[in-house]
Amino acid sequence: MRAATRLTDAGRALALRIAVNQVRFTAVNAMGLVALLSGILSFLVISQATRELGRFGATDYIGTLIVVAIVRELGPLLTALIVVGRSGTAIAAELATNQVMGEVRALEAMGIDPKQYLVLPRFLGSLVSVFALLVLFDFVAIMAGFAAARFNGMPGVRYFDIVLESLRARDVWLTIFKALAFGAIVGVVPSYFGLAVRGAPTEIPIAASRAVVAAMVGIFLCSALFVALG
Amino acid sequence: MTAPQSPSPLVFDALPLAGPAAPPFTLDVPERHTVVVLGDEDSGIELLGGYALGLERPSSGRALVFGTDIAALPGPERLAFRRRVGYLPSGDGLLQNLSLRDNVALPLRFGSGASPRDIEGRVNVMLTALRIAAAAERRPAQANEEERRRAALARAIAFDPALLILEQPFDGLTARVASELLELARGGETAEGARRTIFITGQEIPPVVLRRVDRVYRLTRPGVLELETV
Repeated sequence: MRAATRLTDAGRALALRIAVNQVRFTAVNAMGLVALLSGILSFLVISQATRELGRFGATDYIGTLIVVAIVRELGPLLTALIVVGRSGTAIAAELATNQVMGEVRALEAMGIDPKQYLVLPRFLGSLVSVFALLVLFDFVAIMAGFAAARFNGMPGVRYFDIVLESLRARDVWLTIFKALAFGAIVGVVPSYFGLAVRGAPTEIPIAASRAVVAAMVGIFLCSALFVALG
Repeated sequence: MTAPQSPSPLVFDALPLAGPAAPPFTLDVPERHTVVVLGDEDSGIELLGGYALGLERPSSGRALVFGTDIAALPGPERLAFRRRVGYLPSGDGLLQNLSLRDNVALPLRFGSGASPRDIEGRVNVMLTALRIAAAAERRPAQANEEERRRAALARAIAFDPALLILEQPFDGLTARVASELLELARGGETAEGARRTIFITGQEIPPVVLRRVDRVYRLTRPGVLELETV
């Protein structure tokens, strides 16, 4: 963030342009995949739950299942993992290539902070992207849950009633904090591994692989931390 | 770390180029002079530019630019100071995902407080002066070697620096183009000599260029400089 405050107006405009490109690649191009996975996951879970819980007359717990399991826990986790798989690899490989090609050194020689030009826009892009994709994931999950509930004979109004009854403000805030934390991990960890490359082009795929593994571990640990603190 | 008594824009003071066993490298580059140091690949000559700009820290000795050891400056001041020096790294160091125009504009956007309109104007002047206006929208991979080198030189002189450091600037260029680029780098003549001080390193320089420089040294062994007759 300190890097952002030192930017000139033209530099800020350029960093913003790169961040917008990052959002386009990370969020817009991944919308279909996120919607598909979210829809399938929610439909399967709610279909099974409606049938099984219906046998005990406990269909009210569908709301808890949607809110706690999908919106609060699986939504942020799966969204972040999708973004890491798609964009984390790309960020690490791109920055590693910049490093191997001598572009990072050239930036420093020109008096440009590589953190300002390379890391900051990707960090901001990842924050915005994970948040936007999470909103999409949760929206599609709730709608797919609605379809599943209807498919299994539950009235639509009742489905929305029990979902809204289960949803607390705390769940919304927790989901937002998770999106920001995971977005930060997706932006920073691959950038670190990409810029850590020093030698040959053969290090680029190694850096990308390490970045994805480290980011995934970071996301799981962070998720566990949220559960522990929550 | 400032040594105001030094009148030379660039001073290499007892720098180790090839291990502690070799004699240290010492050289003064006088103001408004064009000085060339030639050496083999294993002579350590490729370290000089990095030492001068503080991109690498020598284990002993120091490099002074306008009397300042850039490597000893704190981060933001180090970046700001480097903008006073033009640098053309070996292999041009252009960013592959930017057009030649954006490469030239990059240091101005991040390092000057000028408005986007002023920056565009300055970039257009540079592109015209370096005769690459027609290729300005190409990316480095789409441009030929001469266009890339011209763009890299335009970027190096974007801030109109008083000191230019050029690493292997003429490799792969014809003698005519090399001569033209040297004249553009010198920035014209004044009563005291060239407008800029230029320090060039390389393995070989075209003879026609050697005739236009003030001093040519050859690293016959690591650390051992011999003045060649121009």
